[in-house]
Amino acid sequence: MAFVSSGYNPDKPMENRITDIGPRHFEEFYPPVIKANKGKWLYHEILEPGVLVHVSETGDEVYTVRVGGARLMSITHIREMCDIADKHCGGYLRFTTRNNVEFMVDSKDKVEALKQDLASRKFPGGSYKFPIGGTGAGVTNIVHTQGWVHCHTPATDASGPVKATMDALFKDFQDMRLPAQLRISLACCLNMCGAVHCSDIAILGFHRKPPMIDHEYVSKNCEIPLAVAACPTSAIKPSKQVLADGTEVKSVAVNNDRCMYCGNCYTMCPSMPLADTEGDGIVIMVGGKVSNRISPPKFSKVVVSFLPNEAPRWKSTTDTISRIVEAYANDARKYERVGDWAERIGWERFFDKCELEFTHHLIDDFRDHAYYTWRQTTQFKF
Amino acid sequence: MALPDNAKEMIVEELTKKSKTKTKFYFNDLSKMFPEESPRAVKKLVNEMVSEGTLEYWSSGSTTMYGLKGMGDLG
Amino acid sequence: MAKHETPMLDELESGPWPSFVSDMKQEAEARAKNVNNVEYQIPVDVVDDLLGVLELSYKHGRTHWKHGGIVGVFGYGGGVIGRYCDQPQEFPGVAHFHTVRVAQPAGKYYTSEYLRQIMDVWDLRGSGLTNMHGSTGDIVLLGTRTEQLEEIFYDLTHKYNTDLGGSGSNLRTPADCLGTSRCEYSCYDTNALCHFLTNEFQDELHRPAFPYKFKFKFDGCPNCCVASLARSDMAFIGTWKDDIRIDQEAVQAYIGGEIPPNGGAHAGRDWGKFDIQKEVIDLCPTGCMWMDGNELKINNKECTRCMHCINAMPRALRIGEDTGCSILVGAKAPILDGQQMGSLLVPFVEVNPDNDYEAIINYIDKIWDWWMMEGKNRERLGETIRRLSFQKLLEACDMEADVRHVAYPRENPYIFWKEEEVPGGWDRDVKEFRKYHQR
Repeated sequence: MAFVSSGYNPDKPMENRITDIGPRHFEEFYPPVIKANKGKWLYHEILEPGVLVHVSETGDEVYTVRVGGARLMSITHIREMCDIADKHCGGYLRFTTRNNVEFMVDSKDKVEALKQDLASRKFPGGSYKFPIGGTGAGVTNIVHTQGWVHCHTPATDASGPVKATMDALFKDFQDMRLPAQLRISLACCLNMCGAVHCSDIAILGFHRKPPMIDHEYVSKNCEIPLAVAACPTSAIKPSKQVLADGTEVKSVAVNNDRCMYCGNCYTMCPSMPLADTEGDGIVIMVGGKVSNRISPPKFSKVVVSFLPNEAPRWKSTTDTISRIVEAYANDARKYERVGDWAERIGWERFFDKCELEFTHHLIDDFRDHAYYTWRQTTQFKF
Repeated sequence: MALPDNAKEMIVEELTKKSKTKTKFYFNDLSKMFPEESPRAVKKLVNEMVSEGTLEYWSSGSTTMYGLKGMGDLG
Repeated sequence: MAKHETPMLDELESGPWPSFVSDMKQEAEARAKNVNNVEYQIPVDVVDDLLGVLELSYKHGRTHWKHGGIVGVFGYGGGVIGRYCDQPQEFPGVAHFHTVRVAQPAGKYYTSEYLRQIMDVWDLRGSGLTNMHGSTGDIVLLGTRTEQLEEIFYDLTHKYNTDLGGSGSNLRTPADCLGTSRCEYSCYDTNALCHFLTNEFQDELHRPAFPYKFKFKFDGCPNCCVASLARSDMAFIGTWKDDIRIDQEAVQAYIGGEIPPNGGAHAGRDWGKFDIQKEVIDLCPTGCMWMDGNELKINNKECTRCMHCINAMPRALRIGEDTGCSILVGAKAPILDGQQMGSLLVPFVEVNPDNDYEAIINYIDKIWDWWMMEGKNRERLGETIRRLSFQKLLEACDMEADVRHVAYPRENPYIFWKEEEVPGGWDRDVKEFRKYHQR
């Protein structure tokens, strides 16, 4: 392959350099019906799962067909979306915060052809390319992080568990039978670059072993003060180590009891890897929300302390989640989010109904906040 | 308040002095050399030093650090 | 014929949800065929090798990526995440596999023309794989080699008028909900404010000098679809001061069952006839609604704008007209000192494009000046506030305390009084005291 220059001159990096221009202006990308009715929308209605209409005070309507997508997308796939947008939507489309894709048309008679086109497209393996759904009181797309596809500290994969979970909950992506919307998120380690801590159900990758130390290489590959400073719990100290051949080297020592397995030291020092086949797995958290509707926003709570990484389909994880969703669907009142439901029936009932085991790992012992989570009342259920 | 005329030299000197044990520094380590000055003024200065090629960035993805260009295992 | 056997990944091709494995295979095949004769600038089999290394991770239960300190293009301190494979001999196509974050347009609206242009860059100079979008909101271009970074940046800025996004200790790419562009709940134009501030603070976005990352997110209403109050250091959440607008005829239509409640969101199950008392009035957290004969009444003074009644009956109830936003500060994920929700700092501020959002920028400047001065390395704004106190933040912002700042008043009396607040100050004459009090 021959090098194709963009016009950039490496000898003169500042020549004709353009910087600090930010994103393109959003107005270039509004479909005409959006541009004409911005700020004038009166109301909306979900006509069927995945299909919305917004009605403007001008009398205009915009029909939106929402489809799910794997967040990891190829350019071939995105070009196919562009073809669909060109064919049905005047060349416009948008993405949602939860990695769904929305195709909009300006009249009802264009909806059916669009829907049929989207629903008819499948990958050779049989999965839908553009499943319609993700609206209302159902399960919408899972927001997630990189996992084993690209990250250096994940404790689980992201795309795989998401695919497996959405397959298991696919009916609820295309239905609206739940008491309220149910938002699932996945972060592949506790650093949560995808903030999942306020989700109805959070799937969280978690390491359970302190880092190994490659003593021979620590001082060659790392700056020891940086590795020491990277530790949030001050568990790392500089130390001298004697290698098998008798050489004394500068290295570090880890106080394993203080380690919270965050992997921050590994980021600064590649000679401290912590990934481990048996040690790594998944924590399930439930009951968080970000909406201010009825009750204030809530954090998710840990209800399963560990599930193993069962690649490729993470069966224990998907089974646990399906069980929680079914218990919630059967027992919660209309408009109740998972967290509202758990609080109303009590966490003791939540564990019963979801057939989950309560263990000592689920009692908070991390810093000041822990005390406020213990039960300080005689009110409890037998 | 203004930065001293030799502020750039001061930074180079300080980082060179420490380079035996450490080659990457937080922005705070630099701004604390000029406690009288607003961090945003120091930021302007160190970014100038980056454009001039004296300093370079190192990033963990979540956190960014500065170092003398070519020192340590940057990049 | 696939380059690597992927029996475990192959199991993720079945099932109804879009299979990322099938999509990756489709891209691998497209690159191998290369019908458009693209002069690929990184190995043609990059996607095959990514499938291969991912299969190995599935087998091992461990990642095979190493961190790299690359940050971006010349003069920028962010926008690129460096990655290297730890099995480069077996998977040379992904030996270097850096991510490029690209600034997304506000509201994530696109034309197919623009998307195709970005895809063409990524076909030529990258792996052909993307994330649409990353958690923060950027267009994420997944996997390229170091020597392509400046070329990609040059193409993006020169041909497509598009910049990189943020990473590291700087302002991260701001993100918004779609706002007034297609939502009747939105109290302000989130797209416009997000775009304006993104451009206003390009220097903060590209040249890191903060103690740690800093995020802005813009939600048009308290439903918070972009989760601003859970994950942004400054959350701008639309709200209103005046009365909820009521269309009494539409209220009756809901009661009569002519309009499905909640915009039809519950249509998948028979929940019985809509009961306004049970489903709206009794669920109102402040109990400020009632029926007066056939009229729905709201005591708006007591309303806390939770959105429930409006969500439940969108054709009958609308947000008020005196709109602006609340600013909540300090939200973050748990690492390190525990998770934090945004705390209300500014109950109401106007969102005024005519004066370039002067009032909002004033708060941003003050908060940044304070945090840059006081924040420790790798300390998010929320942690600085916790360490130094909410009062210190108020002082930094020249604000008076307001009961709206707290969920409830403090439960301990250990108030740190300032000397000037107590008559006479700390310096006292002990001799004078002893005249009346023996030793």
